[in-house]
Amino acid sequence: MIWEQLQDLIRSYPLALRGLGMTVMLSLISLVLGTLLGFGLGVLRATGNRFISAAIGTWVDLIRGTPFLVQIFLIFFILPELGVELDAFTAGIIGLTNLAACFICEIVVAGIRAVPKGQIEAALASGLSLWQRMRQVVLPQAMRVVLPPLVGQYVLLIKDSSVVSAIGLTDLTRVGWLAVQRVPNGLLVFAIVGVGYFLVCYPLILLARRLERRMSAAHGEVKL
Amino acid sequence: MIEFRGVNKWFGPLHVLKDITLSVEPREVVVVCGPSGSGKSTLIRCINGLEATQDGDLVVDDKRVGDPATNMTLLRTEIGFVFQQFNLYPHKTALENVTLAPTHVRKTPRAEAEKAGRELLAKVGLADKFNAYPSELSGGQQQRVAIARCLGMRPKIMLFDEPTSALDPEMISEVLDVMIAVAEEGMTMMVVTHEMGFARRVAQRVVFMDQGAIVESGTPEEFFSAPRTDRSRAFLSKILRH
Repeated sequence: MIWEQLQDLIRSYPLALRGLGMTVMLSLISLVLGTLLGFGLGVLRATGNRFISAAIGTWVDLIRGTPFLVQIFLIFFILPELGVELDAFTAGIIGLTNLAACFICEIVVAGIRAVPKGQIEAALASGLSLWQRMRQVVLPQAMRVVLPPLVGQYVLLIKDSSVVSAIGLTDLTRVGWLAVQRVPNGLLVFAIVGVGYFLVCYPLILLARRLERRMSAAHGEVKL
Repeated sequence: MIEFRGVNKWFGPLHVLKDITLSVEPREVVVVCGPSGSGKSTLIRCINGLEATQDGDLVVDDKRVGDPATNMTLLRTEIGFVFQQFNLYPHKTALENVTLAPTHVRKTPRAEAEKAGRELLAKVGLADKFNAYPSELSGGQQQRVAIARCLGMRPKIMLFDEPTSALDPEMISEVLDVMIAVAEEGMTMMVVTHEMGFARRVAQRVVFMDQGAIVESGTPEEFFSAPRTDRSRAFLSKILRH
């Protein structure tokens, strides 16, 4: 019985691969964009004026304090009411990028604040501009604090991407829902879906662990 | 070169600099001393704008510090600052610490900056440590790299904030020797220190501060042999006792 169901599921591997591909694609694009945006927001929040810092802080709190499902519904169903037409993929990318950026912003801010004040004073005293201080002195040292939680956050965000199945994107989770309609064994189907996510996330978990071990050996800057 | 005219500064309700008037001429070496909390570090941190003043005029190299019209980043390139805790960049080698500002701020070509950096490190006695990271250097070596890092910008003024206070006693003289060499080349210097041997040897003037005010100012000879105030006498008896 289970064997037959498994064979049936294996035959539908093109669909499963499509779902896995969608999950990987969504995660990859939104993590890259979210990381860039998150670093930008983090630097602004840590160094910008009080108004900018407070505005970013409020947005980050708002996004961190509401369920991602609600955010994705708002983007997908409310924005078109305001005249912004979005396909499900774009809505998913926007939602995930925003979510990633907000969490990464907080990680980056914590990293920047962990750099000793004397470092910034030394850079200031030698006439480095704000951007040069960030790029040459602060961020390389902040990365020490930032990298392990950053990679950990990637894992959480990849798993959060399953929520986009709710707006009809055929990601790994949605493939699971589709398969269950044909093969009525939810346990088996979602065990396989779980394995799919695990295969994507596990290398990142290993990377995070490796980075954490490297911290103590580094001279303040961490190279991958 | 450096001129304070009636400068005042407060940290909240705390009046940390009281009506400071002081002028430092080009090529002059001034030692600032006084009990802890007397405002001497704050005094020199105001010169390159690490601290803001609230009242009075502070003119450095003909530019008014704190004036919105003054480009502080540019002014700071002319002022070297040596910190008590060295503050070397831990992720960069000794040579990279020295060449960072010249290559990025002065836009010196890398090869030229590295050549100058090696010469400076050799000059402070670290010819064999170009590629060492700060964590691989002793405190005295780190402070010498920090001095070389300042000299790399060819500053007009060097400020030292208790440069030997964080060092083990056996490393103090190696740093002082470098500072003496810099002074003898004609650098304008303000040095917050209690190293009275250094003051006697190279300073033209000793400024004694207490509770945020300049209490006494004179040649090292006058200050050490005939201090004029009770507070400076009490201070000297404490630091020269042993």
